[in-house]
Formats: sequence, structure tokens, C-alpha cells
Amino acid sequence: MKYLVYAALIILLVPFQAVLFNRVTIFGVHPDLVLIAVCLIGMQAGELDAIVIGLALGFTQDLFSGNAHWTNIWLKPLLGLMASLASHSVINLTFTFSLALLLALSIFSGTVIFFLKSFQSPGVDFFAAAQGILLPQACFDAVLGVTVLKLIQVAAPTRHQLPTSSYE
Amino acid sequence: MVGAKRAFVLLLAVLAAALLILPEASDGPLQTIGRGLVTMASHPLRALDSVNQGIDSIWSRYIALRYVGEENLSLRREIASLQEEASRLREKAAASDRLRELLNLKEELPYSTLAARVIARDPTNWYRSIVINKGQDDGITVDMGVMTPTGAVGRVVKVQRQLAVVLLLIDRNNAVTGLVQRTRDEGIVEGTEKGLAWIKYLPLLSNVKVGDIVITSGMAGGFPRGLPIGRITRIERREAELFLSAEIQPETDFGRLEEVLVITSPRETTNLPSLVPVPGHGLPSAKRLEEIR
Repeated sequence: MKYLVYAALIILLVPFQAVLFNRVTIFGVHPDLVLIAVCLIGMQAGELDAIVIGLALGFTQDLFSGNAHWTNIWLKPLLGLMASLASHSVINLTFTFSLALLLALSIFSGTVIFFLKSFQSPGVDFFAAAQGILLPQACFDAVLGVTVLKLIQVAAPTRHQLPTSSYE
Repeated sequence: MVGAKRAFVLLLAVLAAALLILPEASDGPLQTIGRGLVTMASHPLRALDSVNQGIDSIWSRYIALRYVGEENLSLRREIASLQEEASRLREKAAASDRLRELLNLKEELPYSTLAARVIARDPTNWYRSIVINKGQDDGITVDMGVMTPTGAVGRVVKVQRQLAVVLLLIDRNNAVTGLVQRTRDEGIVEGTEKGLAWIKYLPLLSNVKVGDIVITSGMAGGFPRGLPIGRITRIERREAELFLSAEIQPETDFGRLEEVLVITSPRETTNLPSLVPVPGHGLPSAKRLEEIR
């Protein structure tokens, strides 16, 4: 079942984002579904799954993108790995921690892409990019990611869920 | 006596009958008699009429509405169906217009092009690109120019077998050589983060003005000379810089791209004079091209 879900994600997620989900924008910015998927896989399933799926999804994303550097092929597995390592360092994967982690990883991803892009065409204002793309996208990623994570946790509880009396 | 009495009663009866038979004679006394009766009867009549009206109202508003409700639902469904059909037909008509325009342009252009449909947009927020439904199998290669009837759109940066990725002119990583049509000054056109374009490296003494049209120079890249890029909206002169820069409002609406032409061979037109875009129609017709020549 897990592999079926992974296969469906690899085949459908990027086309879904490129064709349909791009219409769902807030001030021209939309959440990065691949980033969310890879981070959630890292948080729920572990490092290996996150790296493999991140590699496949990042590669697919680069195929459909105007990105000339093939950034996502290595960035997405790295994000998955970071999400996995960070989530394994806490006893309970709480709402606040998940939100903060997704926010931080999205900001990290955006910053890396920005600097790689600005190597090719220098002179871009980082603060304008941060205000226009990076931070709004990070907020959308975090909110959507946490919502999906909670739904997953309700549908299929994992070892990260402890009673509410436990501490982080 | 009895006979006289009977005769008198009979006379009175005949007279009354005669009075009643005559219309003019009957109106007055009968109405006088009837008025009182009508006055008495009118009260229960009105009361009964009110009850009747109430029953009618209840019937028409509530009981008969059962059928009106069904009819209303049916009509609503019909309206929705007709609206959907109208929308579909409008969409078809719009697509037909766009394709006719594209086909006309394709026939008029003196260089070879290939029509393609936009099937997706960049899956990230960081690049401005589109995915088209033509690729390696159709003869598309990297660096080919892409245009619409309104002007240049971008260039192909990635090619798969059946699709290609086109980096739009408004992406910061895209650069094509541009020419200010009026002054003939050349520069490099790049995208901006705001979805506009900049022409850089214009000579410091250039006489460019706001409103000047920028076209492709045809010197490099996959574009022929003379494709409209946009109009200058702002000129920037920075101190201690050897060149001018100007902001360009692109002619093409990049948010609404649906069909495009990939320029498969731009080299046939390198000697063409620059073209003046016709407002609302994009490029001039073939006849006009001949006139220009």
C-alpha cells in the first residue's frame, strides 16, 4: 500500500501542481506540494523513504520547471532528510513543532533557490524576493503541511503520537 | 258582492302583471324591493367571498405550489444546463478565434513555425515558465523562440519527447537581444521579479523615450528580427554607470497564454525591416510586410 501511494505521488503530484494547483494562488504564490509531501514522508516514514521519494519528486519537478540548475533533484531529498532527523529528535510530533519545522524548511529551501538563481542573474533584491515569494510560500507550506499531517495522523496513527499528557 | 270583490282582485292582478311585464315600470318598484334584500344579503355574501378568496389563496400559494416547486426545479435545471452549454459554446468560439488568429499569423509569417498548446505552468514559484505539448518528436530543440500574435513569449529551455519547457521573457534568468525600434539602440532584455522586463546596456546618450517599442533584434537566440517585446514604461539613468536601462511592459499577457507558435527556423528573415505592431492585432499582415519591403 505504501509503495502504491509513493508511486501515485511520483506520477501525479507534479503534474497536479503544474496543471491544476497553480490556479490556487494567494497573491500569485502557491504552496509547493512536492516540498510538503517530502517533508511529511520524512516526518512520518523516515530518512530512507524521504530521500528516495525526494529524489524522484525533485527530479520530476525539475523536468517540468524552467529551472536550469536542476536544484530540486538534490534539494528535495535533503529537505526530506532534515525533516526526518528533526522530527525524530522529539518525543511527540506536536502541532507547533510540525508547523515550525515546515516553516523553517520552506524558508531554507526558498533561500537556497534564491541564491542559486541570483548567481546566474545577479542584482536581485533578496528582501523583495523574501517578501514576495519566500515568506508567503513558507506560510502556505506550513499551514497546508500541518493540515495534511493531522489528517494522516487521524487516519493512520504512528509512533510519534503520544497522549496529550506527554511533553515535547 | 263577492263577484265584485273577485273582479277587483283580478283587475289588480292583471294591472300588477302589466306593470311587471313593462321593463321601465318594473325597474323602480322591483329595485326598491330588492335593494333592502341585497343590503341584507350582501354582508354574508362578502363574508363568504372572503372565505372563498382565502381558500383560493391557500390553494394557489401552498397546495398548488407543490407542482410549481417541481416546475421551478425543472426550470432551474434547464437554466443550469443552458448556461453550461452557453459557456461551453463561448469557450469554443473563443478558442476558435484564437486558433484562427494563430493560423492566419502562421500562414503570414515568412519563417517556419509550429503551433503548440500550453498544458502546464512552472510547478515552483521561483521560475516563470510554461510547458507546451510539442517536443523532440515534433522537431523542437533547445533555444528555439516562442511567440504569439502579440509578440515574443520566451525560449525553449528543456525538451522531452512530447513536451517542452519554455522560459518566459519575464523570467529573470531569460535574456534576449532587443532593439528600441525608433532609435535602433540595442540592449539585452531580461525579466524582473515583478513580471515585467528590463532592457539593459542601452547607450548612455540614447534618445529613448517612454512609450518606445522594443523588438527582438534577431542577432542571437531563436527569434527573427522585429518581433514586438513590449513598450518602455520607465527609463533609469544611474550615476557612474556607462549604460541606460529601461523598464518594459510586455505586449503579451503572460498570464493568459493558451496557444503559442514555436519558431523552428528564424533565419529566413534576418534581413527583414523591423515591424510595427498594429495595436490590438499584433504583427502586420503578409501584404503589409511586402509593402514594407
